Amino acid sequence: MIFGKKPGGISCRQVAKDLQTFLDEETDDESRRHRIAEHLEACRDCGLEADTYRAIKGALAQRAPEIDPATMERLRAFSADLSDDTP
Amino acid sequence: MQTGAGEQAFQNYVLPELDVLYRVAFSITRNNADAEDLVQDTLLRAYRAIDRFDGRHPRAWLLTIMRNAQINRVRRKRPELLRDPDTTMGRVADESADGEGADRRLLDRTLDAAVETAYLDLPEKFREVIDLVDLSGLSYLETADILDVPVGTIMSRLHRARKRVRDHLESVGIDAATTAAPEDQ
Repeated sequence: MIFGKKPGGISCRQVAKDLQTFLDEETDDESRRHRIAEHLEACRDCGLEADTYRAIKGALAQRAPEIDPATMERLRAFSADLSDDTP
Repeated sequence: MQTGAGEQAFQNYVLPELDVLYRVAFSITRNNADAEDLVQDTLLRAYRAIDRFDGRHPRAWLLTIMRNAQINRVRRKRPELLRDPDTTMGRVADESADGEGADRRLLDRTLDAAVETAYLDLPEKFREVIDLVDLSGLSYLETADILDVPVGTIMSRLHRARKRVRDHLESVGIDAATTAAPEDQ
């Protein structure tokens, strides 16, 4: 928290509110995206908060299981068969 | 049989999404066999409808087809689930903890193990959204579409889920911001 200053022109509270959406790249407003990025660069606490959630997202994403190649092969074959079999 | 244009559209729009379709189907069904069946059902429906598809947002189009296919499947299998709109996607069984993580090579096993524990502790509704957004890489809108709930609900569940994971990490003394650095651990 930086008292009396608002890096990027927005408060820590506003950044906290929008942080998840920002990290998911779902912030539609480009100028807001820039302001949040600027704030995260300048504000140590918010920057650490962002790092924490990036790490959590990363760890959750790593849980994605490998898809069995045989399954994908069967699905591709099924798709190819549709062309031949569907009346 | 499709027209040549239909065949081409199917090749162009549907097949590149096969991987995502399977991941989403698995997130919904929590079961390899059911996921494969659901993808096949989706492919068949997509193939039949491809001539009416305008080519815009193929993933969203396919996810809508999958949602409808799953609703039909659940209706056939478990009619009672339809009473609660939040469960229309159906959770046939909760089998997420299948121990298949043994082969994973983790950059940070401590963080990952703690995140895994926290994830398994989450309510099913939260895990489902984490799976679709963080694992399958769907947008909020796509996730809302497949689960048939408002985008605001997706955001709320996702944020609360991650907050719970974060709280768990804190409770076991893990600082994710610094622990996540690769190598060294």
